Amino acid sequence: MATIFHVDMDAFFVSVEELYEPSLKGKAVVVGGKAHERGVVSAASYEARKFGVHSAMPLRQAAKLCPHAIFISGQRERYAEASRAVEQVLREFSPLVEMASIDEAYLDMTGTERLHGPPLRAAHRLHAAVQQQTQLNCSIGIAASRLVAKIASDQAKRHGILHVLPGQEATFLGPLDIHRIPGVGEVTGQHLNGMGIRRIRDLAALDEGLLRSRFGRLGLALAGKARGEDAGGWFDTAIGEDGGPKSISHEHTYTEDTADQTLLESTLAKLSEMVARRLRDHALHARTVQLKLRYQDFSTITRAHTLDQPTQLDAEIMRESRALFRANWKAGRKIRLLGVQVSSLTESGGQMNLLSGGQDEKWQRALSAVDKLRGRFGDSTVSLAAGLQGEFRQRVHEGKERIRPKS
Amino acid sequence: MEFTVNKADLVRELGLSQGVVEKKTTIPILSNVLLEAGDNGLTLTATDLELGIRSTCAARVAKKGAGTIPAKRLLDYVRLLPDAEVTIKFMENQWANLTCGRSKTRIAGMSRESYPELPPTPEKIVDLPAGLLASMITRTIFAISNEESRFTLNGAQLILKPDSITMVATDGHRLALVEEKTSLEGISGAYKALLPKKAMTEILKLAGDAGADAKIAFSGDDNHLFFQFGDRLLLSRKLSGNFPDYERVLPKEHAHSVNLAKDELKATIERVAQFSDDRSRAIRLQVSPGEVKIYSSLSETGESEESIPVEYAGPLVEIGFNASYMIEFLRALPTGEAKFLFKDGQSAGEMQPGEVSEQLTYRYVVMPMRI
Repeated sequence: MATIFHVDMDAFFVSVEELYEPSLKGKAVVVGGKAHERGVVSAASYEARKFGVHSAMPLRQAAKLCPHAIFISGQRERYAEASRAVEQVLREFSPLVEMASIDEAYLDMTGTERLHGPPLRAAHRLHAAVQQQTQLNCSIGIAASRLVAKIASDQAKRHGILHVLPGQEATFLGPLDIHRIPGVGEVTGQHLNGMGIRRIRDLAALDEGLLRSRFGRLGLALAGKARGEDAGGWFDTAIGEDGGPKSISHEHTYTEDTADQTLLESTLAKLSEMVARRLRDHALHARTVQLKLRYQDFSTITRAHTLDQPTQLDAEIMRESRALFRANWKAGRKIRLLGVQVSSLTESGGQMNLLSGGQDEKWQRALSAVDKLRGRFGDSTVSLAAGLQGEFRQRVHEGKERIRPKS
Repeated sequence: MEFTVNKADLVRELGLSQGVVEKKTTIPILSNVLLEAGDNGLTLTATDLELGIRSTCAARVAKKGAGTIPAKRLLDYVRLLPDAEVTIKFMENQWANLTCGRSKTRIAGMSRESYPELPPTPEKIVDLPAGLLASMITRTIFAISNEESRFTLNGAQLILKPDSITMVATDGHRLALVEEKTSLEGISGAYKALLPKKAMTEILKLAGDAGADAKIAFSGDDNHLFFQFGDRLLLSRKLSGNFPDYERVLPKEHAHSVNLAKDELKATIERVAQFSDDRSRAIRLQVSPGEVKIYSSLSETGESEESIPVEYAGPLVEIGFNASYMIEFLRALPTGEAKFLFKDGQSAGEMQPGEVSEQLTYRYVVMPMRI
């Protein structure tokens, strides 16, 4: 029987901001941007949540619901740093740690009893260690599966610990709303509600065949999840056994739609740089570069190109994304969002270049030095000159952005 | 306009246009072939604005004139007709009536006025031997880059000198260079042009039809290159930009070399490459005294290893290569010996024909893969 911990940081972005600005404590705080800006809420403090503000809500709507809230843009680098500090503490407790996003992690604690004691005691020690070493609070769910552990940590909020004993999964899950199941979003939820299914026990009682005919493979996964099993998508993989990313992408939504080619291409440079850095972080090379382009009227196109040879160099990804952009952008049409994605990832980027006279090797070395600088002093320490104009605040969403990108 | 042609003649000439007409219908009329009936019979023209082809065929012209018809539709239809005479008559409304025996067909055409004019052929620069040019294309075309964003690598560098023709192609990872000694009358100094890959493919077809001993009347203006094969004309827009300074990357010397039978080496690499990664196509060559070992391993699928005895007494060297790069060269190499020259796992390797020839220089430089 496995023992899985799901550690979820409490109001992570806001708590990190409070470390830098203690006066924010106890106030309604919204991270994501200024109240009048376009864009969405990245995180909200518990005080702001009381007014109905939640993450992914448009900022302007949040400002209406909670006009007295303090709106801050937030600094991704601070959160990344805090996340690394948390991960460090977690690694003291188990070698099998998987950061599922910037503010949550799974730990496989199976077989650590002699070292850390029974699960609940270990969880209390972990809880205290995180608090002590990072001044941040977390909630911990303990169960025999990742899925139940995750739902348990949610129930344990905030600053709590909840242990679902093996065999008690059905009792624990039964009365909960189906929306508590990770993977059940608005659409699936409505669909299920339409079938008269509101609580997880209703779902568990359903015939698997019916779910399958209604929802296909997703239905089978749902049936498994309702029984508290790790089923479907990334729940299938073991903790720490990272299957590796299938694609890596970054997007940017403009505060104001633009048709300024210099600015647009500059944004592409910046996005390419961010994608390339993630490739190097994962020691991967990509062969396919994809451009995503959303016009003012929300019409969206994606265009991809597959390279002869895989790359992890900023300049090559930028060259491809720019070529795709120039070939597909209807000049003059205002753009709302740009995105760069790379896929067809391989570990070997082996093919050496004939014409660059060793330039590629030099770039490779230079960029890994740059990555170190960025890691220490922040992402904007060094950039491609072409990307400087495209500098923008990176938006990340608590619990939304997987460090392991979605396949 | 009204004319009558032999079905086989029409099929043959329309076939030439297929590689040229615009496949993507961004400009609809570019999918059409221009038919002009005049004193010389029937003239057919196809172009995608990058490439143009013009040819003639014998025809009995009842009424001179010109019109355009979708090239693919016309060919697909005419090909199915019995071997007989085909009469094509253009109507006022741009429709064409085709009659062949008891078959009667109407095809919607477009006005000749909307069809782009091909640039006029300038004065001839030199006569090029068709067979020789075709063999040079076969030896280099595979090394051309398919990356559209690297446009100067989307073709081959052609260099004409009074006593030689040189063609060089590279995609940045390997480079094929072929130089043939031949005397070119009318060339002084060096004439250089970047020849697009698509034009090279068409030259291969036309040269095949024309026969090895045929001559190509070659000329060029600021933006175009013209290749006249008898009464067939191929013209191509030049690639703009500068081809990389390839002489800089040609290795001056190699520390070691081995000679291998080309067919055996090719078959070996083809077998071993079955167990290389689909994307990287990486294989390893290990040269040690007395043998070349070629192997690959794909942890989940399998692994393969073969060894070929060679005369070699140097140090053990292991080099990773993209198997496709090796196979493509070996396909272009005539049967006989292949010479493999190398230094170490980090330096460019080179392949050449085993026999040294005064007439022909053929070099293929390949960068290794990091292993």
